[in-house]
Amino acid sequence: MTPILELRNVRKAYGDFVAVDSVSMAVPAGSIFGLLGPNGAGKTSSIRMIMNITAPDSGEVQVFGHPRTSEDLRRIGYLPEERGLYRKMTVLDQLVFLGEIRGLRGPQLAADINHWLERVQLADWSKRKIEELSKGMQQKVQLIGTVLHKPDLLILDEPFSGLDPLNQELFRDLLLDYRSQGKSVVLSTHGMELAERMCDHICLISHGRAVLDGELRSIKRQVGGNAFRLVADGDLGRLETMPEVEHAVIQDGVAKLMLRPEAEGAAVLRQIVQFLNVHEFRSEEPELEQIFLKAVRDAA
Amino acid sequence: MRLNNVVVVAKREYLQRAKTKAFWIATLILPLFVAGISIVPALLLSKTKSSQRIVVVDETGRVGNSLVARMNAHESEKPREEDEKSGSRRNRNQAGNVTFQAETEPLAADRKAQRADLDRRVMDKSLDAWVWIGPGVFTDTPVEYHARSVSNVFTQEALRDELSSVVRQERFREAGIDPARVDELSRSVHLAPRRVSATGSRAEGSLGAAALAMVLFFMLYVAILMWGQQVMQGVLEEKGSRVIEVVISCVTPFELMLGKLVGICLLGLTQLAIWLGTMLVVTAPGLAASLAVLPKGVVLPTLSPVMLINFVLLFILGFLAYATLYAGIGASFNNLQEAQQAASIAMVFVIIPVTVMYPVINDPNSTMATVLSLIPMFTPLLMPLRIAVDMPPAWQLALAYALTIGFVLGMIWICARIYRVGILMYGKKPTFAEIWKWTRYA
Repeated sequence: MTPILELRNVRKAYGDFVAVDSVSMAVPAGSIFGLLGPNGAGKTSSIRMIMNITAPDSGEVQVFGHPRTSEDLRRIGYLPEERGLYRKMTVLDQLVFLGEIRGLRGPQLAADINHWLERVQLADWSKRKIEELSKGMQQKVQLIGTVLHKPDLLILDEPFSGLDPLNQELFRDLLLDYRSQGKSVVLSTHGMELAERMCDHICLISHGRAVLDGELRSIKRQVGGNAFRLVADGDLGRLETMPEVEHAVIQDGVAKLMLRPEAEGAAVLRQIVQFLNVHEFRSEEPELEQIFLKAVRDAA
Repeated sequence: MRLNNVVVVAKREYLQRAKTKAFWIATLILPLFVAGISIVPALLLSKTKSSQRIVVVDETGRVGNSLVARMNAHESEKPREEDEKSGSRRNRNQAGNVTFQAETEPLAADRKAQRADLDRRVMDKSLDAWVWIGPGVFTDTPVEYHARSVSNVFTQEALRDELSSVVRQERFREAGIDPARVDELSRSVHLAPRRVSATGSRAEGSLGAAALAMVLFFMLYVAILMWGQQVMQGVLEEKGSRVIEVVISCVTPFELMLGKLVGICLLGLTQLAIWLGTMLVVTAPGLAASLAVLPKGVVLPTLSPVMLINFVLLFILGFLAYATLYAGIGASFNNLQEAQQAASIAMVFVIIPVTVMYPVINDPNSTMATVLSLIPMFTPLLMPLRIAVDMPPAWQLALAYALTIGFVLGMIWICARIYRVGILMYGKKPTFAEIWKWTRYA
């Protein structure tokens, strides 16, 4: 199946600083695609090139199976990282305007806006000015503006930042709903937990390079062979000094270990029991956060 | 280009601004100001219109009767010559609003008691004032005027004028000169200004034409500056709040700029329509005459359709020239502070016409006026001045329009390019050389 969005060797430099270095990635249709990476990795720079806000120095952006045209942009819903709304406009006027520049009109538009405002619990605020709203409310207004024209592809830059858990849940439901209609979502985030719960595919960017790209489940399987969970008493800190341990996250007597690919779990356990009182040691799927940390370190 | 996008953007710009209080305050303040300086004084005057009950006591017996006769006969119609001769250049009409109900009272034996009685009548308001004409009236002794208030300058001025002419006539008679003959011989000469134009000479007040020219000039000046700046602020707001990133995925930068210009231009026209409408009402011949606030002899020039059309066209062109420039400036910088320096350069083009306004009104066909009014950035402000004072030759008007339209199209072309690049540029303040480079991008 042709990907709904594809970057091919896209590169962007600002002066001497290479923000995006030959990034390739493909977003399958009908998926939630996580663009992950630490701050300054090049996520927003990539998205801005997808949206034709900046032009890549080289490489190609394909949307809906062909090189992107300005017409395609109208089929995409885009939520920029820095929230942009007209501060002096009322919520309703703002949404009508955002709908109208996408060619929506009349009673259907008004009905859609009302439906969305009800859904995000902002119906009582429709006549208020944007500047009177809290940051979270503004974000909800902007999300409505992004999905109002039922785009085939949603591109959301850090959609969850600044939202309380309740609203995060609301956003998450909306996006899952969106996927269930066969549409696609690209979201950038550095919140691994959320990405893990929502994304089917991920692309991990670090220092402008894509270091990991693919289906989340297969990535986990691929990396996950050597992840273990250890519950023990004693000086768990010593685990980090073991040559076989690539990475360890230790908290409250529980260690999440990522072993080197060549290391064997049983052999490592035999060493550990010599200095720790082990209660539990078992193989497990790695968390995205571990994969993330490992990948970022490997890339560096 | 999608016309629909331009319409949607223009609609937003127009409605959002028309909904603000600031727009209505700015729009209504000028008419209110005009009304303030024209209608209010007239209203105040009309309050003193109630006739003044005055008693005249004449010691000489030669002035009182004719004075009272003149005062009671007094309507606003008074021989003009009277005014000129006395050297008074004061506004006849203002004093002319005062009417009197005067009567003489014979001199009583007890002058002191008579004065006290008159004072009492003034105090209990059965009388407004009393006048005591002493024997020295023919020389230099002033005539006493007693009233509750002595700040009613118009009443006093009218009274003084009447007194002067009666006394003067008496003096002439004494010297054996026929007062009627004096009036006849000392009549002033008047100037009858005639405007020479292509359509032939016609009578018109030159002062009125100059006033009209100035009013139109300042309307354009205020409107062009104000709305030009609005465009710049709007662009900076979109850029600063990053709304632009969302909008630009649906609307091209050119559509956005054009929509903004059209919307704000229409709002400017709405404002001008309100201003001109007010002006037409205030200067309507009937109203102006009844308000009687203009000096006699000043004929209010009417805003002819030709002038109106030129005025509107030149506003649109002037607005586009400046607003496009402001749009380019707004797009180039990150915030108002940064943009201010460049904006002040744009201001220079508006200030120059202001500095030459008086010379142009005074001699609208001088070489300087002709040349300056043909320079596109100045045409929208200087041409209306010339048109109001003296219609310039058709070829100059045509040339001015051609040059300005060409210039505006060029400005739109350049600024659209600056806008397209600048609107999505963030970070450091660009230099003018960099901004110029943006216009070369394909």
